[in-house]
Amino acid sequence: MFLALKEIRHEKLRYGLIIGMIVLVSYLVFVLSGLAYGLAQQNTQAISSWNASKVVLNSDANDSLSQSLITKQTADKVKLTTHEAYIGQAGVVAKAKGQAKLSAQFLGINQSQFIYKRVKVTAGHKPTTNHQIMVDDSFKDNGYRLGDKVTLNSTDTQYKIVGFTHNAKLSVAPVIYGTLGTWRTLSHVTSDFQASGIITNRDSFKTKTSGLSTLTMSKFINKLPGYSAQNTTFTFMIGFLMIIAMVVIAVFLYILTMQKLPNYAVLRAQGIPAKVLVTTTVSQALILVVGGLAIGAALTLATVLALPAGVPMSFNVPLLAGVTGGILLTGVIGALIPVKVILNVDPVSVMGG
Amino acid sequence: MSVLEVNHVTKTFGHNTNEVTVLTDVNFTAAAGEVSLVIGPSGSGKSTFLTIAGGIQTPTDGDVVVQGNGLAQLSGKARDALRLNHIGFILQAYNLVPYLTVKDQFALVDRVKSKGNLSATDLRHLLEKLGISQLINQYPAELSGGQTQRVAIARALYQNPDIILADEPTAALDSERVKVVGQLLHDLAKEHNKAIVVVTHDLRLKEFADKTYAIMDGKMTVA
Ligand SMILES: Nc1ncnc2c1ncn2[C@@H]1O[C@H](COP(=O)(O)OP(=O)(O)OP(=O)(O)O)[C@@H](O)[C@H]1O
Ligand SMILES: [Mg+2]
Repeated sequence: MFLALKEIRHEKLRYGLIIGMIVLVSYLVFVLSGLAYGLAQQNTQAISSWNASKVVLNSDANDSLSQSLITKQTADKVKLTTHEAYIGQAGVVAKAKGQAKLSAQFLGINQSQFIYKRVKVTAGHKPTTNHQIMVDDSFKDNGYRLGDKVTLNSTDTQYKIVGFTHNAKLSVAPVIYGTLGTWRTLSHVTSDFQASGIITNRDSFKTKTSGLSTLTMSKFINKLPGYSAQNTTFTFMIGFLMIIAMVVIAVFLYILTMQKLPNYAVLRAQGIPAKVLVTTTVSQALILVVGGLAIGAALTLATVLALPAGVPMSFNVPLLAGVTGGILLTGVIGALIPVKVILNVDPVSVMGG
Repeated sequence: MSVLEVNHVTKTFGHNTNEVTVLTDVNFTAAAGEVSLVIGPSGSGKSTFLTIAGGIQTPTDGDVVVQGNGLAQLSGKARDALRLNHIGFILQAYNLVPYLTVKDQFALVDRVKSKGNLSATDLRHLLEKLGISQLINQYPAELSGGQTQRVAIARALYQNPDIILADEPTAALDSERVKVVGQLLHDLAKEHNKAIVVVTHDLRLKEFADKTYAIMDGKMTVA
């Protein structure tokens, strides 16, 4: 530690540049993974907020909620408990006087069922009649207010915003919660149809009703339009970015260690044990990488605060821990690749004539 | 009593047609309480001899015994420990750590060898004697050649080694300083019972030596 810190202090420019490089690389990785994760979340936020475990859809719907329709006749054969809820999905375009149009996902839910009960209100209240809706907070960011009258699609029917809810996104669009009756209107179906699907939060839920198929949530989410394609793309992007970042950092620390060999030879000639040189090398690599990561994380935080609310960015701990741990590990590995050279460094090499 | 023995040491570098023999059957002993001076021209094998004697290089043939320990029989770790605790090198190329101030060069020794170093008072006296007390906050790059050489001497002596191996310790010094360094090494031998080996082409050091050897084309003779 003594040598490691003294050297950093004496060679401020060189070490400053290396820390700067680690800062930039980790900032890049943090921000990009935050953006990718944020986008992935916007596909599923609403679903995650229900804490559900399975979805029941029409077996001809190709696992897609928006393609699914369940008739009343079929629905009646499924025994519902307090753990199941009907849901009706319709893609809509919302418009209010003087406001920009917004593409949204309308979700019709039943007041006496668990989704309705679980949805959190940030302002106003939950819809109680067919002409009331509760919308995602992003409507607020676009200028919509409580009490605004909104038309959905090109019909003239007006719906009143009676409440706001937070983090309700489905397939990257804000969610509008309303009644199943409104869903029928928007989907142009008669009351012969009960819902698009049934959501359950029981792992043990099963139904043998013909014409229905039951999916686990993770399978359902993977089948959301574009979701897995998007995720695969981002996973590969971040994966490659990580690998390149780690290689770059490892190479830099390798070069750094190699440049120090003449000094190490001096120390070896003085009888300083090889172990001290190895710990010095490792602790210096750790100081540089930890410092760089910390500054990179602080910059990322500043970026999150500075970005407009509409930019999806969110973080999850395992992902961040993986990124941070990976960079730390490769930093140390890079510094230690020449360890054999450190151990065998020839004191004579620096002694001259 | 001899604390350092060099027995029938031969050193060759390179292979086949490029092979050069730098030392040929060198025999040498150094005793505690004595200053041994090895004088030879440039390229005669002085540095090679000294580094082999101190265990930094291994001989091609022959062996080195330090305080009863055959160096070839010691593990790398044990050799490090022996060097750290019992041998002080004053190297020809000065070899201070560039990013440590003079003060920190000594602090570094404290970090790796906690016992047996000079006391703060003794260090202060040593620095005064060598005329470098005012330099303690300077980096090696800010020192003159002669100042660097004196710091390197102080650094080696700070470890309070039993054996001091010095390679051209006076090359960059004026006659006044040569006397100071020569007297210092002489006093260390006499008053602290150190074994001191100096290799040099500086004949001015002769008056401080108990024994003088000559080295020429890798062959050592008693002068
Ligand atoms: N690693 C090496 N490989 C090949 N030849 C070497 C090596 N080290 C030293 N030599 C050769 O050995 C000879 C003696 O070198 P050495 O450094 O011992 O001389 P020296 O007496 O210390 O000279 P000077 O007074 O200039 O310091 C020289 O001819 C040198 O070129
Ligand atoms: Mg030499």
